[in-house]
Amino acid sequence: MSGSGVPTWEEIARDHGRFLYTVAYRLTGNSHDAQDLVQDVLLKVRRGLETYRPGSLEGWLSRITTNTFLDEARRRGRRPVDLLPDDPDRVIPPSPGADVVLAAEALPDHVQDALRRLPEEYRAAVVLCDVVGRSYEEIGEILDVPVGTVRSRIHRGRALLRKALT
Amino acid sequence: MTNGFTGGDRGFGAPAHLGDALSALLDGELPPPVEQGARAHLAGCPACAGELVAVDQARRWVRSLPLVEPPFGFYERMLLDRAQPTAAAFGARSTLRRRAGLAALGAAAAAVTVLGVGSPSQAPVNPAVPRLIEAHATSASVGADLLSKLAPAGVPVSFGR
Repeated sequence: MSGSGVPTWEEIARDHGRFLYTVAYRLTGNSHDAQDLVQDVLLKVRRGLETYRPGSLEGWLSRITTNTFLDEARRRGRRPVDLLPDDPDRVIPPSPGADVVLAAEALPDHVQDALRRLPEEYRAAVVLCDVVGRSYEEIGEILDVPVGTVRSRIHRGRALLRKALT
Repeated sequence: MTNGFTGGDRGFGAPAHLGDALSALLDGELPPPVEQGARAHLAGCPACAGELVAVDQARRWVRSLPLVEPPFGFYERMLLDRAQPTAAAFGARSTLRRRAGLAALGAAAAAVTVLGVGSPSQAPVNPAVPRLIEAHATSASVGADLLSKLAPAGVPVSFGR
């Protein structure tokens, strides 16, 4: 840590480099964009652009990484988030034979590919929940959305993943 | 009334499906009373039970993804970049610029490794040959082959422009 208690980017690279790269890779879906994203994150850390509050360093990093990713996605003008109609009673049709689904396994590359195809906002919520392990409340703070929106994005993201992989 | 589920009760007695609450149930994100209600609903709703299985499958797939190793030397190249203020790679946002920067950094790292001197972009290169000769002459025995002993020290001269 530096004198101010803020971790240096060298410390981050040394102690959390694999975690940071993993989050970036799960968000972007490919190595080149993941490298770009990690560099952008470390640049922000280096320039002191992100306020560090003592606590979970990986939570802080995942916040910066996710928001940098979403900022870049918005800058590029990618797909809007609302690809699914807002139907609260929508039910995902179960596939033929739920027991078969339970036994099914998906290859990591296939899961990653399906993840990459999700709208960015769904993907960010799913990654923060299922890769990083943040709570809904924490995800809401990171993404600056209500918990209900987090819940919706996670559920819809999972539903799309499930559909893509079966 | 609503039970905290996404759909709630539409007001004409039709049971709402759990919808988004299914994922929240899997994640332990429902308050206990709401969770009890959700489980009671699941027991009598095959549609929601099937959807629960589906999203649980997706959830477990993502959670089982492994950590990803960064490319070999990825962070080391950034450390090297930090030591070279002229390199633009670290601050570059575009992939193209970053890749060009990393390629330049890779070349610089190779030069450092092979030649043991600074980056090729550092100009002018000055191997200080007269000083080397003087130092060698001081320590060399009388009658030694001065030129052949200087040959290794002369290598850096070859990349001078």
